[in-house]
Amino acid sequence: MTLHRLSLRLRQAVTQARHLHSSRRGQQLEAVAVEPELPKELSFFRTRESDPACHAEVHMGQYYTLSPVHLRTVFPHGLPSRFQLQMKTFNETCVMVRQPALELISHLKKADYSKPAVRYMFYGANGCGKTISLCHALHYCYTQGWLVLHIPDAHLWVKNCKELLPSTFSPSRFDQPIEASHWLRNFKITNEPLLSKLKTTQRYVWTKRESTEEGRTLAELVEQGVARVRTSSDVVGALLKELRLQAGQPMEGRQEGFRLAVAVDGVNALWGRTSLKKEDKSVVAPEELTLIHNLRKMMKNDWCGGAVISSLSQTGSLFKPKDVYLPQELLGEDGFDDMDPFVPVPVSNYSEKESESCYLYYMDRNWLQHPHSRTEEGKKELLFLSNRNPNVLERLCASL
Amino acid sequence: MSASTMCTTALSFTRTNGLCLGNYALRLLNRTATYSTALSTNNGKGFPNRGIRGPRRPKRESGAPRTEKMPENQDWTAVYPSAAPFKPSAVPLPVRMGYPVNRGVPAEKKGNLELMKIPNFLHLTPAAIQKHCDALKPFCTEWPAGLDSDAAREEHFPIQVESKEFVSAGSSLRNPKTRVVTLRVKLSSLNLDEHARKKMVKLVGDRYCEETDTLTIVTENCPLRQQNYDYAMYLLTVLYHESWKTEVWEAEKTRADMEEYHWDDSRSQKNVLDTLRRMRVTSEGEEDPGAVREELLGQPEVQEYRESVTRLKNEGETEETMLQYREAVKKLLNV
Repeated sequence: MTLHRLSLRLRQAVTQARHLHSSRRGQQLEAVAVEPELPKELSFFRTRESDPACHAEVHMGQYYTLSPVHLRTVFPHGLPSRFQLQMKTFNETCVMVRQPALELISHLKKADYSKPAVRYMFYGANGCGKTISLCHALHYCYTQGWLVLHIPDAHLWVKNCKELLPSTFSPSRFDQPIEASHWLRNFKITNEPLLSKLKTTQRYVWTKRESTEEGRTLAELVEQGVARVRTSSDVVGALLKELRLQAGQPMEGRQEGFRLAVAVDGVNALWGRTSLKKEDKSVVAPEELTLIHNLRKMMKNDWCGGAVISSLSQTGSLFKPKDVYLPQELLGEDGFDDMDPFVPVPVSNYSEKESESCYLYYMDRNWLQHPHSRTEEGKKELLFLSNRNPNVLERLCASL
Repeated sequence: MSASTMCTTALSFTRTNGLCLGNYALRLLNRTATYSTALSTNNGKGFPNRGIRGPRRPKRESGAPRTEKMPENQDWTAVYPSAAPFKPSAVPLPVRMGYPVNRGVPAEKKGNLELMKIPNFLHLTPAAIQKHCDALKPFCTEWPAGLDSDAAREEHFPIQVESKEFVSAGSSLRNPKTRVVTLRVKLSSLNLDEHARKKMVKLVGDRYCEETDTLTIVTENCPLRQQNYDYAMYLLTVLYHESWKTEVWEAEKTRADMEEYHWDDSRSQKNVLDTLRRMRVTSEGEEDPGAVREELLGQPEVQEYRESVTRLKNEGETEETMLQYREAVKKLLNV
């Protein structure tokens, strides 16, 4: 009952605040009287702290807002599609601060970057919030000035590929020009400033007439890949190699080198099966794809100066039953041996506090239109039906 | 009129000629003479005294069913001494059986075909069994006193041989299923070392049950039970001796053939050693690789990691084993 009243007051406060911003008529006295209350009331499920580096246990269960600038640079392609719809509807990007992401951020803060890269892996049941936790950690890396290498969903590279060209570099492999160039474009948007400072260490020959000399900036390399779509997969390979060599090395203008964050969502795609077929109808193995081959090299911990953050995903995976979520089941023997030793980070359903704050957030955004859903009973029903699973709760509320 | 005249003429004919036609022929003649006239209708059930002309035997009234005359302490084995169909008048139970029609109740037992069709064990009540046992007792010997526990039986008689006997009345006494012989033995009672045990399990395949540690050999290849028994004993002997031998090609056993996961010389061990070596090299200079390896392997974190990985692979993956692995890796990598 108290929560209901609280949410009513919240709604009042928020609508009044919006009213204040939208129209600049009188009633300013009233607004002034309301304003000091705003921070106190909002902080129940929101936090003003939008810098992930400062997030702490105090902020657990609260939503923090991502600024649009950061959004456009860090996540041109990173967020899940349903979350993007929600962003568009609510006109803001709010991510909940949760324990797995906080744990990972604390590890990243304490880690020694002269040692080989540590691999972290989010695992958990479907719809628990692995991708969002990954994005939260990535936001932290970006705000700390790291170079962010984000593959939003590795499963997209092993299925539904329209064009499979035989690789120019190695005859037994296959290129995926469209996916590679699309990814390079987004990568450029994220990391423009850093890329213009880094230089290549060797000469790359693409065709008889085109080559990239030693000492050119990586931004040029990426441009080459975006422009010449045929060789984009090899450009990706070269880029990854360069980054691996140079992460952690001191570079011009700085004492220590830049740090590299490799974030792969759906990492189990690298060792699973593909649904792609060659011309003679035989199945393509993942290692025969250039992109996958190069990415696997990136996942090893033979380089220093960064971290590998990954998350498993059953949702997009091929030929895996619906209820598997543990790392070994999804990665397979090969995958586990390749990734070993890694730090698994479990992600679970919302806790009581988190589910409360999710409900209040939806109420605040006027998302729950059904009259019964606004009552205490309705809330209990929603939480019971969804079993506090974030994805299911979101889908349930969307239809109300 | 004509009938009676025909009758008398037939009779006179027989008498005068001295021929004895016999009762059957007479009845036949009567029947042929009487079919066209409507004489008597069949009021009784079934066909009692079908076709009898003349005085019928008077119908006897059926008495009270036997159930009403049964004292409570009667001897049931006298009512059902052997297997017999269900007799509603002899079974004093108010049994009902059948599908309830028109929202009614199941049909009563009187005249219930369903109850008569199914097999019943009314002839095998505990009292009847007791009588059977008492009758068989003079032919039995005492159970050996030392074999009163399962463990004692296992120890002295590790091999159990099972075969079935079939008794039925038919045109032939033989039943082809009697030739099947099942031999059960626990591998723990056989003298096998590690290698022999693993080889035995691989040789027999599905016939070995891991939970009960029992090897089951079923033989039905030969036509006689005696032959099948000999064959089963022969198989057991051969398996035992073969599993003790080590062939030359067994040295080619790969990781994929192993029954359990061994951490030594595995990918996991290599990865860990590589990682740790790189973590050290960044802080120190070159050292003798063999000694470094030994030292790294001896660390308690590495031991803990090794245990967690072995547990994960052998016992399967659960939340618990995953969490143990997580703790071990965190300690190992100083995270």
